[in-house]
Amino acid sequence: MAEKMDLVPSQRSPAGEAAARSTILQTPLWKVRLQLAWRGFKSNAALFAENKIGLIGLAVIVMFALMAAAYPILINTVWDPNIYDPIIGYDFTQVEQPAPPSPAHLLGTDPLGRDVLSQLMYSAASEFALGVVAALVTVIVATTVGAVSAYFGGAIDTIFMRLADIIIMMPFVTVLIVLSVLFEIRMLHLALIIGILAGFGGDAIVIKSQALTIKVRAYIEAARIAGGSDAHIIFRHIVPNLLPISFLYMMFTVTSAIFSEAVLSFFGLLNIRMSWGLMIHTTSTAGYLLDLQKWWLIFPASIAITMLCAAFYLVGRALDEVVNPRLRKR
Amino acid sequence: MATNDQTLVKVENLVKYFPVEGGLFSRVRGQIHAVDDISFEIQQGKSLGLVGESGCGKTTTGKLMVRLYQPTSGTIKIRTAEGTLEDIAFRRGKALKAFRRRVQMIFQDPYESLNPRRTVFDTVAEPLAVQGIGTLIEREEKVADLLALVGLTPPDTFMFRFPHELSGGQRQRVAIARALIVDPVFIAADEPTSMLDVSIRIGVMQLMADLADRFGVSYLYITHDLAVARYMCQDVAVMYLGKMVEKAETEELLAHPLHPYTKALLAATPVPDPRLRRDIINIKGGISKPVDPPPQCRFYERCPIADEFCKNNVHPPLEDKGGGHFVACYKV
Amino acid sequence: MSEPLLRVENLTMHYTTRAGDVKAVDDVSFTLAQGDSLGLVGESGCGKTSVALTLLRLMPDNAKILRGKVWLGDTELLSLPYEEMRKIRWNRISMIFQAAMNSLNPVYRVGDQIIEALNTHIGVMSIDQARQRVAELFELVGLDPALMDRYPHEFSGGMRQRAVIAMALSCNPDLIIADEPTTALDVIVQDRVLRQLEEVQAKLGMSMIYISHDIAVIAEVSNRIGVMYAGQMAEIADSIEIFERPLHPYTFALMGSFPSIKGKKHALEPLPGEPPNLISPPSGCRFHPRCSRATEQCKNEVPIFRDYGNNHFAACWHPLEV
Repeated sequence: MAEKMDLVPSQRSPAGEAAARSTILQTPLWKVRLQLAWRGFKSNAALFAENKIGLIGLAVIVMFALMAAAYPILINTVWDPNIYDPIIGYDFTQVEQPAPPSPAHLLGTDPLGRDVLSQLMYSAASEFALGVVAALVTVIVATTVGAVSAYFGGAIDTIFMRLADIIIMMPFVTVLIVLSVLFEIRMLHLALIIGILAGFGGDAIVIKSQALTIKVRAYIEAARIAGGSDAHIIFRHIVPNLLPISFLYMMFTVTSAIFSEAVLSFFGLLNIRMSWGLMIHTTSTAGYLLDLQKWWLIFPASIAITMLCAAFYLVGRALDEVVNPRLRKR
Repeated sequence: MATNDQTLVKVENLVKYFPVEGGLFSRVRGQIHAVDDISFEIQQGKSLGLVGESGCGKTTTGKLMVRLYQPTSGTIKIRTAEGTLEDIAFRRGKALKAFRRRVQMIFQDPYESLNPRRTVFDTVAEPLAVQGIGTLIEREEKVADLLALVGLTPPDTFMFRFPHELSGGQRQRVAIARALIVDPVFIAADEPTSMLDVSIRIGVMQLMADLADRFGVSYLYITHDLAVARYMCQDVAVMYLGKMVEKAETEELLAHPLHPYTKALLAATPVPDPRLRRDIINIKGGISKPVDPPPQCRFYERCPIADEFCKNNVHPPLEDKGGGHFVACYKV
Repeated sequence: MSEPLLRVENLTMHYTTRAGDVKAVDDVSFTLAQGDSLGLVGESGCGKTSVALTLLRLMPDNAKILRGKVWLGDTELLSLPYEEMRKIRWNRISMIFQAAMNSLNPVYRVGDQIIEALNTHIGVMSIDQARQRVAELFELVGLDPALMDRYPHEFSGGMRQRAVIAMALSCNPDLIIADEPTTALDVIVQDRVLRQLEEVQAKLGMSMIYISHDIAVIAEVSNRIGVMYAGQMAEIADSIEIFERPLHPYTFALMGSFPSIKGKKHALEPLPGEPPNLISPPSGCRFHPRCSRATEQCKNEVPIFRDYGNNHFAACWHPLEV
């Protein structure tokens, strides 16, 4: 008769059994989890890489990251801080400000005589920081709100959902404008505000609906039967299954954050010293906004904003294709 | 069946109603009588099969037994470690959590009952982790033991796999390991093999039977297939629209069915042998949802032998017709 | 012996996937006589649904037919131009898909959906004629004709399944392929639907291919049974013949793995192992890793589909009775 499956371990040699067991237990659990996480990351990366748009987006992001990293190197080595500082630099050798692009100033200078390229690179870092902080706050808030609303239902659910409705109804930029008038908003504040508004707003609703589909799965019932408390089920079962979708929406929040900052800076409502939006604001207040002759004043900043926003959006779209089939995979 | 030292589970007059909402303000318009006054016992070393078609209340009964739902009324008594029968129908909080070590469940869908983002180890160890049993090392060892026991050998290779890397049969074995790890006395199994491939089913069923023998675990084996119940359970009960209509030892029920519904079920079950022809069954109509049913016999509308008496009296009680064979019918 | 209605010869079909080619159907051959009811039985992934889809040329985009011929009477189906094949579908062969009862469009009345099928495949007829036909079909499947003006959600599962059967019958096909038509139904409803199908088949002299993993149901409705394993036809014979004299070890194992309410309660024998991965199936006989009678030959050579007399064919180097 063909080999039967081994049901009773005592029929195997005790030594063999002990040997089989010791290999697993020799590796500490945290290490095993790390290995598994790495394996998971690699296979997700492979899936992600199949999609060209994701790679394009990622390439653009990397390019801007390099830009942000290059700035401190350049300002400390090649560039003379007096001339190239993005905020207070001034090039006296140029006769007319804003000066068109030249070998010394690859993207020219702005109406205040500051090097445009240096401004662009300096701001890249803070734009990234803004985007990432806002996105993280959104993920944390939206995931928690979504999971808790879905799990408990009832009054808690109603409160959060009505809150979300109110937030969605409010015009986003107008709210930010009002807030900036009332309070002094810096980059970090802006990131937190955007994160919180997005987190309690539309994203919470989307994540809650996803959490509802998870709540009724059999493994949640199994966890309850094992004796799991509400907190255990929410944070150990529901939230881990929400993270792929949360992560996905995070990408879109980055886009929204960068763009909102640009709009607010354009209106001069933010208390920051340099950003892409501020570059456009400077151009506008100097009266060169529609002057196509001085193209280097507008295009670098606006193209940078567009490209970075688009890059995160493309990465988000590619992630969508990674996340969704996996969720449905058997 | 008298309660004796061997009784593991004793259920009396178990009732579960679900409200039907509707109308403009989601008012409660009626009650679905999902489980309507059923009673049964399960003895040590024996398993009870709960058989019926969809909507009869067998899955709800299973979920009540493991307290996924709270009953509307009735008692569910489980034998504790100290040896007494305790009613857990309305327990909450810590007491309920303690009871969860005595009773576990195996689900129908092997793909849905495991969290896709948790490893096999996490899933099987979860009852231990949640109940605070053992150190991490002890839990790893116990999980390895159990994986070997359910036929997933060598345990190394399976411990840290994810559900999507396992086949349906393997996943169900993981679910069985998870159910057994807290040493329960009773497991509710909701159609555990109906979604598995045919050639895998027998292996899993035999595993469950072996484990029942070794560990003295009893099953409430929920299934729509009388043939499967025959192989897994010494006793079987037939449910219809929330009521238990017949209950007896399995071979006795198959050989001498008394209730017309049982007879119809037996006649309708296909037999894997083309040489045997089945009898024609003559019940009419289809199953409806038991929303606020009238007090008469639930089977009256479809019954081929019902008469005026059946129409004018309440649903017949479950009575012993001799030798532990219970039937709820006026015409027997 | 009259001309067989359907002749399948060496049908081979693969799916191309990212992970490799899935050898879903491998060198499958069988014939179906007029009025026969063939049951294709096997586990999930054995290729039975793929065979059906290939016969109707309804395969997904990533499928390719590598070899084989399918003769419906005198017409070879696989080489027909698309338009011609469209005419064959529904008129000569129709299909009831898996979980078909869920495929009724919820926003149209059931009767209207059948009328649409009639208009598309037979040709536009007057409303009265069409409704008359629908009423006939409903009676044929045991549904009250008055129900034709109801919506699908007003039908129960069993009734919906019968409506789908009525739709499949609407153009009077020579052959119906039914893929797990009663899997989602309760046992008493299943009994009714099966008996109805038998009645209809007898009345119209239709042939059927019945696909299921449930050997009990197949034993009920088919007079001829084909056992498939891992994309290949392991054994095919008349129903009683195959039960009394199974030749392929898989057939024998399959029959021993179904519990029964009748007869003596015998111990069930589990089949070791798992159904194989069809991207890299085992060499030689695909069943050899799980077979208790396997030898070197089984590992290296694909067994030939041989005639053992009495219209009984099997592909095995060491059949059970030799």
